[in-house]
Amino acid sequence: MSRITIAIPSKGRLKEQTEDWLASIGHTVRQIGGERGYTAEIEGLDAEVRLLSASEIAHGLIEGSLHLGVTGEDLLHDQSPEGLGDFEVLKRLGFGGADVVVAVPQAWFDVDTMADLEAAGAAFRKAHHRRLRVATKYLRITRRYFAQKSVGEYRLVESAGATEAAPATGTADVIVDITTTGATLRANGLKVLDDGVILQSQASLTRSVRAPWSEEANAIVELLMRQPRAGTKRPI
Amino acid sequence: MKHDALVAVARAVFEASGGTPIDPDYVLPADIPLELSGEAVRARLCLFADHRGAEMVMRPDLTLPVAQREAARREAGEGGAKTYTYAARAFRLPVAPDDQLEFTQVGLERFGYDAGPEADAELFALIHRAVEACGVQPSGVIMGDLAIFPAFIDALGLPAVTGDLLKRAFRQEGGVRAVLDAAARPLEADIAAVLEADDPAAALSGLLSARNIPLAGGRSLPEIIEGLQARKAAIEAGGLSQVARAALLALREIDCPLTDAASALTALVKTHGLEGAGPAIAALGARADAVLARVPAAMKTARFRTGFGRRFTYYDGFVFEILAPGLALTQPVAAGGRYDGLISGLSNRRASATGVGGVVRPDRMVRVRRDVS
Repeated sequence: MSRITIAIPSKGRLKEQTEDWLASIGHTVRQIGGERGYTAEIEGLDAEVRLLSASEIAHGLIEGSLHLGVTGEDLLHDQSPEGLGDFEVLKRLGFGGADVVVAVPQAWFDVDTMADLEAAGAAFRKAHHRRLRVATKYLRITRRYFAQKSVGEYRLVESAGATEAAPATGTADVIVDITTTGATLRANGLKVLDDGVILQSQASLTRSVRAPWSEEANAIVELLMRQPRAGTKRPI
Repeated sequence: MKHDALVAVARAVFEASGGTPIDPDYVLPADIPLELSGEAVRARLCLFADHRGAEMVMRPDLTLPVAQREAARREAGEGGAKTYTYAARAFRLPVAPDDQLEFTQVGLERFGYDAGPEADAELFALIHRAVEACGVQPSGVIMGDLAIFPAFIDALGLPAVTGDLLKRAFRQEGGVRAVLDAAARPLEADIAAVLEADDPAAALSGLLSARNIPLAGGRSLPEIIEGLQARKAAIEAGGLSQVARAALLALREIDCPLTDAASALTALVKTHGLEGAGPAIAALGARADAVLARVPAAMKTARFRTGFGRRFTYYDGFVFEILAPGLALTQPVAAGGRYDGLISGLSNRRASATGVGGVVRPDRMVRVRRDVS
């Protein structure tokens, strides 16, 4: 029986917060090969530990090459072809929180809801012989939400970064993006639609549905599901 | 018969009917299906980026590239009626586990002929004959008519804004229900005042600068004002009347043998006083009679459902699917219908022609035959 594979974020705030959480339940992370290494050991867990980008972790969990991982729910939802059912969120960790939202220019006084956006999209197509552009890196989440809201009059434009600038620069008219405070959206002259919050995402301990599971693997899940010990701090 | 033998048999049926063989482009700009049908189809498309980064698509069916050729031919000034036939590969991401990504469609497309019950019935009979020639006895036929719902909307005499909204909503799963349930929301006072100004565009522009809001995105001030006027009209109309609501909910429920469809719809017309829908219903009835005359066998199982075919995105009238034993409802062995607006849509309104067509799926018929024997 091969060991179970756990992935944690390889950089930034998400990495630090994941390590803090693991330490709080008694499992200190030790990176192999120093700060630049891409494997690690987690104290008290007999598992292979990989340091990957949050996006690679989501992909590995859905595809089944990882058993467990910590990553953002936004990425899990967007990368899964089937939606829910491709992965199982075991525990929401309370950090890395952000909303995935639909935002339109504030100047669009006539558009406050997804239904208004549908009407604006239809009128736009009639006038311009093309569809309204929606810029996003969340192609699947956007498509599912727009379908759920019965909005068909739009085209997706894949955005690699600075999505919030797309309406101002003219590459798109509407965006679907993550936001924490909404300040960046407001600074770019955008507003979130009344029913435009698609997903309230946070970092989550997630289990792969496709990876092969054994009793040993399940035992590791149990260890990770324990509550933090009182008064624990990040080890020096 | 094996797959390739079925292809040959179906192909012979269509070629004997006078179709010109055609093998159109495999690769199309992704704009063609996405602008025409919307993002809902993206989940099924085999997309890739070309060397310049432009989004391209492997043809998801043969109707699109054949119609594209036909649109170009007509834009170049050529006219006349044309029938094309093909036996060619199409590419779609599978929905069912046993569907293939790459499969053969054998089909027929006719452009520029008189549209009417006889033309629809003739096309249906030909596709049905090709299925039978492949040794498959259909277990069912579903026929829809995408002109019926719009005809009822027109007959209701609703404000244009609401009527257009409902017609679009009909094509979306759950859309009509959402429109019926939606309540009109009042406009903010400052914004409502813009519409009362002598020059609404100037007033809107003034309000935007007063609030320090930039004009981003591709919609102009007049377009935003038009949107505000539509919302105001919807508020003033006070939502749909009880009559309209009841009629649309009843229309949505219709799911009956095709032979009863015209009378069921006529009963609705009488109950709700919607005589305007009469001609569309008469056309449906005439088509049912014409199909019955040509393919009596099909009529034993043929059903009509108001919402059927709403997701056949560029179709706009008659639509059908032929089902076979042992296959799921989502895996018809043949399908087709009428798309009189397609050439106009593909040519940006520089050309127009009636269109009707259908295909058979040998990859699925092979499985039917295994199940039977």
